[in-house]
Amino acid sequence: MRQRVVVTGAGALSPLADSPAGLHAALCAGRSGLKPIELFPTDTIGPRQAGEIRPFEPRDYLGDRNLRPIDRTSRLLLVAAQQALEASGWTAEMRASREVGLVLGTTFCSVRTIAEFDRRGLQLGPSYASPLDFANSVINAAAGQAAIWHGLRGVNSTISAGEASGLQALAYAVGLIRSGRAAALLAGGVEELCLESFLGYLRAGRLSGSNGHQVEEIPEEISVPFHARRNGFAQAEGAALLMLEDAEAAAGRGAAVLAEILGHGSAFDVEGTEAGAVTAVARAVRLALEDAALSPGDVDALSASANGGVAGDRAEARGVAEAIGRRAAELPVTAVKSMLGEALGASGGLQAVAALGTLRHGVLPGILGLEEVEPGLPLPGVSTRNRDVAARRILLTALSADGHACAVLLGKEEGSS
Amino acid sequence: MELRIAVTGIGLVTPVGAGRDGVWKALLAGRSGIGPVESFDTSRFNVHLGAEVRNFHAEPWVRRLAAKALGRASQLAIAAARMALEDAGVDPEDVAPERAGVAMGTTSGEPLEVERFDDCFLAGEMEKIGTEFISLYPCHMIAAHVARELGFAGPNTMIPTACAAGNYAIAHAMDVLRSGRAELMLAGGADAFSRITYTGFSRLGAIAPERCQPFDRNRKGMIPGEGAAVLVLEPFPRAVARGARIYAELAGYGLSCDAHHMTAAHPEGDGAARAMLRALADVGASPNEVSYISAHGTGTPTNDRLEIAAVRRVFGEGARRTPMSSIKSMIGHTMGAASAIEAAVCSLAVAEDRIPPTMNLEEPEEEDLDFVPNMAREHRVVLAMNNAYAFGGNNASVIFRKAEA
Repeated sequence: MRQRVVVTGAGALSPLADSPAGLHAALCAGRSGLKPIELFPTDTIGPRQAGEIRPFEPRDYLGDRNLRPIDRTSRLLLVAAQQALEASGWTAEMRASREVGLVLGTTFCSVRTIAEFDRRGLQLGPSYASPLDFANSVINAAAGQAAIWHGLRGVNSTISAGEASGLQALAYAVGLIRSGRAAALLAGGVEELCLESFLGYLRAGRLSGSNGHQVEEIPEEISVPFHARRNGFAQAEGAALLMLEDAEAAAGRGAAVLAEILGHGSAFDVEGTEAGAVTAVARAVRLALEDAALSPGDVDALSASANGGVAGDRAEARGVAEAIGRRAAELPVTAVKSMLGEALGASGGLQAVAALGTLRHGVLPGILGLEEVEPGLPLPGVSTRNRDVAARRILLTALSADGHACAVLLGKEEGSS
Repeated sequence: MELRIAVTGIGLVTPVGAGRDGVWKALLAGRSGIGPVESFDTSRFNVHLGAEVRNFHAEPWVRRLAAKALGRASQLAIAAARMALEDAGVDPEDVAPERAGVAMGTTSGEPLEVERFDDCFLAGEMEKIGTEFISLYPCHMIAAHVARELGFAGPNTMIPTACAAGNYAIAHAMDVLRSGRAELMLAGGADAFSRITYTGFSRLGAIAPERCQPFDRNRKGMIPGEGAAVLVLEPFPRAVARGARIYAELAGYGLSCDAHHMTAAHPEGDGAARAMLRALADVGASPNEVSYISAHGTGTPTNDRLEIAAVRRVFGEGARRTPMSSIKSMIGHTMGAASAIEAAVCSLAVAEDRIPPTMNLEEPEEEDLDFVPNMAREHRVVLAMNNAYAFGGNNASVIFRKAEA
């Protein structure tokens, strides 16, 4: 009998709320986290919307300790980690004697820090580049900073898979706990919003309303998942972590259990086509069901990673539908990025934290703005309205634009109410 | 009994050459791949040496994708991956695509793409930033490109845990195979020589002005480098059934975090020691069974001191009998590729009972330890331990065992 992996706490910082409970409440209230960008100058890109976390005063959460060497990505992460540690009852004393680790999903860590470090060296000469910035320029910097801040001495790893980073991090952490390599791991992801990545996605034509280099005429931005006229995603930022523990160890310390990770599956689309992505998503979902020893009928709801991307949303829907067959006709579906935007490395963790709220309160948030569904969408269970679902098991899926597909099954712990 | 995992293929692109045989011979001969930096102008720096991969041509290796549409780290990684598969006698066309996965490590991903971004930014030419930044830069593109090139549709994982990343990727691949989620994994690391990395280490005062001298009392630092290494990993039953040459068993690993400082290791090597002890427990071996330690051995005073302290903590008196060498004395610090290249070296040491030297070692930091100074050595290697330490306090020890042991 293999080790079971349970969720004993969560932390989440997003454009909508600064707590896991607040996140689910805001999603159910149909609030949008998108707002005009203030974090960086927009003169080269025109006025645009993004899921910016504002106001964000790290000291309100983290107290007086020195934050100077810590960049925005790491600050967002520190707050989410603190929430998850507190919620799960892992005190600093306990962490000093027993190892807690961290598996962090991120696409860029801080590409802003990296680029600013480089530009300073170029402008003023290499001897003026900041060593503090250099320490934060590695892609595992945020995970390292969180380990130092919170005394996380266990396995510390960083996973990058674009929009699938967060779910991949959860899956990786589950693997470590099941194989006995770790007993307690924070897992999820982080991403900050910055000019470098925003401009990159804009030029790649991935953002809603992207139209190449034109600043003047920005088309209507429709970043609503599964919308018939969607034209890309709205970029966002956030941090979200689950505390995952070996079920026996969690029971041994008397921890309250919020949920269980029942299974996971991953696959990769080597073709870079919609058909290839469909196949990869379908395989990831089937592997997750197989891993959990469940059938499609056992799944009560789906939280999709759909973000308004033209090809990706359809591929994800088709892939899930292919894997679950007739169940697709009735399955209630949500897509939280309709309100949160695409927070890249943080997205999977945010999906998972929102799903914890659904398991607890029995309400699946609607998809904000989905007034016009893509014709023929094979997941008819999408809706703008919240649904009452006595969900015991929620399927989380993620598809990155570069072909990573990941599925995670989150369930109510057996015996919990 | 856990499924045993075999190393059946080795692909290397390093500052002392490419290919398993060439690199192994060069390392045993003590050749250096360090020279004046050519990929950018170092006149504004007070150091000028680097360990670059010279005369690398991606075209022969990148066949399915367009080499020009890939970042340098992806090109290096694909070359190493193709070499590893050829070395293993595996035709990628013969592998069930969904049963073959890729796990890669890196420090910086494709840093040259950020540098291009910054050049445009400072020149006021933002309009020159096009689609390629997002299609090339994110570090996960390294593993994605390897998988697309070879058609490997199984688990695809990018682990950017800096200078220990290769070990993290290899360790993860072992778990993927043991859990039955794939039957063949390519695992390793890749990094491209970068102005950003060079600037950073120079600001830390960590770059050696003349040569890299790990474990020497007069050492003056590390030499930044680039490269890629990929191992072919598969379960023993599969390797045996197809008659593959097995270099070594990938026996186990241990990970830990210092949670102490971003760029300096724990002074007593606490995290490093925990990673080694965990790796030993994972393979069920005692320290005195270790025949060779492939050191992280960057050549900076802080790294080498912590590493010696950690090894003494774990091995006790046995530290004096256990040879420990650093190939970074020859190929510099190839960042995310470093521990993957060293994993290949451990596999070859186990297969051939030979140990590469620590070059440039004139006055050993500690007289009683065996750093395999300046000359390769014939030595029976049953268990080889590969140590890697990184920014962020990420530590990883991976153990390779003689296949028949």
